[in-house]
Amino acid sequence: MNVLKIIEYLIAKAAPLKTAFFVFLGALVLFDLFLPREHAHYFVDKIYAFWTFFALAGCFLLIKISKGIAHLFLSKDEDYYG
Amino acid sequence: MDSWIHPALFFFVGALLLPLLRGKAKKGFILLIPVAAIVSVAFARYGTYGVYHFLGMEGVFGRVDKLSMVFAWVFVIMAFLGALYALHREEDGHHIAGFFYVGSALGALFAGDYLTLFIFWEVMAFSSVFLIWYGKKEKSIAAGFRYLLFHVFGGLLFLAGMMLYYQKTGSLAFNSILSANASLPEYLILAGFALNAAVLPLHAWLPDAYPEASVEGAVFLCAFTTKTAVYVLARGFSGFEILAIMGTAMTVFGVCYAVIENDIRRVLAYHIISQVGYMVAGIGIGTAMAVNGAAAHAFAHILYKALLFMGAGSVLYMTGTAKMSRLGGLYKYMPLTMIFYIVGAVSISGFPLFSGFVSKSMIVSAAHHEGRIWLMSWLNLAGIGTFLSVGLKVTYFAFFGKEAAEPLQVKEPPLNMLWAMGLTALLCFIIGVFPQTLYVLLPFPVEYHPYNLAHLSEAMQILSFTGLVFYLMVKKLSPEAKLNLDVDWFYRRGTLLFMKFDEKVIAPFDTLWGELYRTLGLRALFKNAELSYTFDQKAIDGVVDGTAYSVMDFGSVVKKMQTGRIQTYIGLSLFLFFAILWLVL
Repeated sequence: MNVLKIIEYLIAKAAPLKTAFFVFLGALVLFDLFLPREHAHYFVDKIYAFWTFFALAGCFLLIKISKGIAHLFLSKDEDYYG
Repeated sequence: MDSWIHPALFFFVGALLLPLLRGKAKKGFILLIPVAAIVSVAFARYGTYGVYHFLGMEGVFGRVDKLSMVFAWVFVIMAFLGALYALHREEDGHHIAGFFYVGSALGALFAGDYLTLFIFWEVMAFSSVFLIWYGKKEKSIAAGFRYLLFHVFGGLLFLAGMMLYYQKTGSLAFNSILSANASLPEYLILAGFALNAAVLPLHAWLPDAYPEASVEGAVFLCAFTTKTAVYVLARGFSGFEILAIMGTAMTVFGVCYAVIENDIRRVLAYHIISQVGYMVAGIGIGTAMAVNGAAAHAFAHILYKALLFMGAGSVLYMTGTAKMSRLGGLYKYMPLTMIFYIVGAVSISGFPLFSGFVSKSMIVSAAHHEGRIWLMSWLNLAGIGTFLSVGLKVTYFAFFGKEAAEPLQVKEPPLNMLWAMGLTALLCFIIGVFPQTLYVLLPFPVEYHPYNLAHLSEAMQILSFTGLVFYLMVKKLSPEAKLNLDVDWFYRRGTLLFMKFDEKVIAPFDTLWGELYRTLGLRALFKNAELSYTFDQKAIDGVVDGTAYSVMDFGSVVKKMQTGRIQTYIGLSLFLFFAILWLVL
C-alpha cells in the first residue's frame, strides 16, 4: 500500500530527519530572538525563549513526578479490584 | 413565531422505529436520522419554542440562541460521525441507546428551565449506561453500575438544588447566575453539573467507565456527557472563580494520569478530564473571550477526541487489546488508522493548522489577557503533557516501538470505521486552517487571530521541546501493565473494606448474638413455657375448677332454700334484715 511505503521510506531516513529536527529546534530559538517585544507586559513574554525553557523543565518534571508518584503508591496489580 | 422541529425528536422517534427495519434500509435509516437533525439545526432560528405549563410552572423545550446553537451544531455532526462509525453493529439496542443518548443531550441543550433540563439530564445517564454495558465484559457490567450510581447521585444533588432554588426565587428558569448571589441552592446545582463535567474530585466515574464501554459506544460517550455539562456551566455559572481554579487543576491532573496509564482508551479518558478542564477554566475566567474559547474548545474537542477514540477503538476492535504493553509496530498493518489517529493527536496537542491550535489558545490567551499568568502557565504545562501522552507516547508505543511479543497480523478496520475517521480528521483540519468557520458560531463576537507570530513561536517552542524531552527520556515512559489508583478507590476499595468490617466484626457479633439467644434465650423461653404450663395446670385450673365447684355447692344450698312458699321467703328476709341491722349497728 502507498501509505505504508511512505512511512517506511521515512523510517529508513530516520538519521537525516533527526538532524533536521535538531536544526529546526535551533531555528525556533533563533526565531524568538527576532520577535517584536514592545507589547510584552508579563515575564512570560519578556524573557527570551521562555517557552523553550518552560517546555524542557515542565516536560522533565511532569514525567519524573507522575512516574514517581505512580511508583510510590498509585501503581497496583491489574487485578487489584478483582 | 415560526415552527421548528426539535432535533431531539428525530432521535427519539428514530430509535423507536429502528427495530421495524431490516438490512440495507436499516443502515440507511441509521445515517438518515442524524442528517435530518443536522437539517433541523441548520434551519433553526433564534427564539423560544415549545413553552408548556406544568403544575403552575413554565417549562421551555426550545431555547435557541447562540450559546445553545454552537453546541447543537457539533452534537448533530458528531451524531452522524458516531452513527457512521457504529454502522457495522448488528444489535438494535446499541443504536437505540446511542440515539436516546444523543437525543437527550440535545434536549438538555435547548431546555430553558431546570425541570426540563433535569428530565433530559436523567435520560442521558440512563441511556448512556447501555453503551458501557455493551462492552459485554464482566468489568463493563460492574463499571456501568458504578457509573449509574454516581450519576444518580449527581442527579440528586441537582434535584435538591433545584427544589431549594425554586423555594428561594419562585422560578425554575435556567439563566445566568451571579457568583455574588449564589448560596446553597446554586452551589448544589453547580455540584450536580460539575459531577457530569468530571470536575475534581467528582471525576473518577469517567476513567472508570469509558474504557470499559463498547468500541463504538466510547466514541459517543466521550462527546456528549461532559460537553453538555460544559454547556450548562457556561450558561449558568460563568465567572465563578472556583471553576477557574478547579478547571486548571483538572488540566494538569488529567495529563499526569495520562502519562502513566497503559490502556490507550484509559489514557484518552483521563485526557478528557484535562481537556474539559480547559473549558471549565475558560468558563471560570468568564470574559467574553474566555467563554468563547470554552465553546470553541468544546466544539473542536468533541471532534478530535472522538477521532482519537475511533482510532483507539479500531486498534481494540482488530487486535483485541488497547494496552500499549501488548501492542507495537502496528503501522505495518493499520497505516491509515495510524494517520487518522495522528491527525487527532496533533489537533489535541494544538499544532498549527489543526483545530486545537485555534480553540485551546483562545482560553490560554484569555488567561493571558486577564493577567492570570499562573493559570496560563499551568494550562501550558497541561499542553506539554497532552502532546507527551496522547501525541507521542501512544503513537510511539502502539504504532511504532517494539513489535508485540505475539505478532499482531491484523488488517485495517471495516470501511465505515475508516470513513468516519477520515471525515472527522478532515473536519479537524478544516477548522484549523479556516478558524472563521468555527468562530462565526461562537456566542460573543470574536476579535482573536490565532495565527500571529508570538503565538506561533510560543506553541512551536512548547511542542518541539516537549518532543526533544520525549526523545531523550523515552525509556522512562515505557508503558507498564499496572492499575493506577484514583479516588474511585474510596468507593471500590472502601466498600470492600466495609464488607470486610462487616464480615469480620458485624457478622461474627451477629452470630454470637444468635448463639447467645439460642443457648440462653431459647432455654429461658422453654423454661418459661414449662412454668407457665405448670402454673396453668395447677394454679389457674385449680382456681377455675375450684370456683366452679364452689358455685355448684352454693347452688345446691340455695336450691334447698327455694321452697316455693311465700312465708319462708318473708321469714328469711326478715331474719337477714335483722342480722344485717345487728351487724351494722
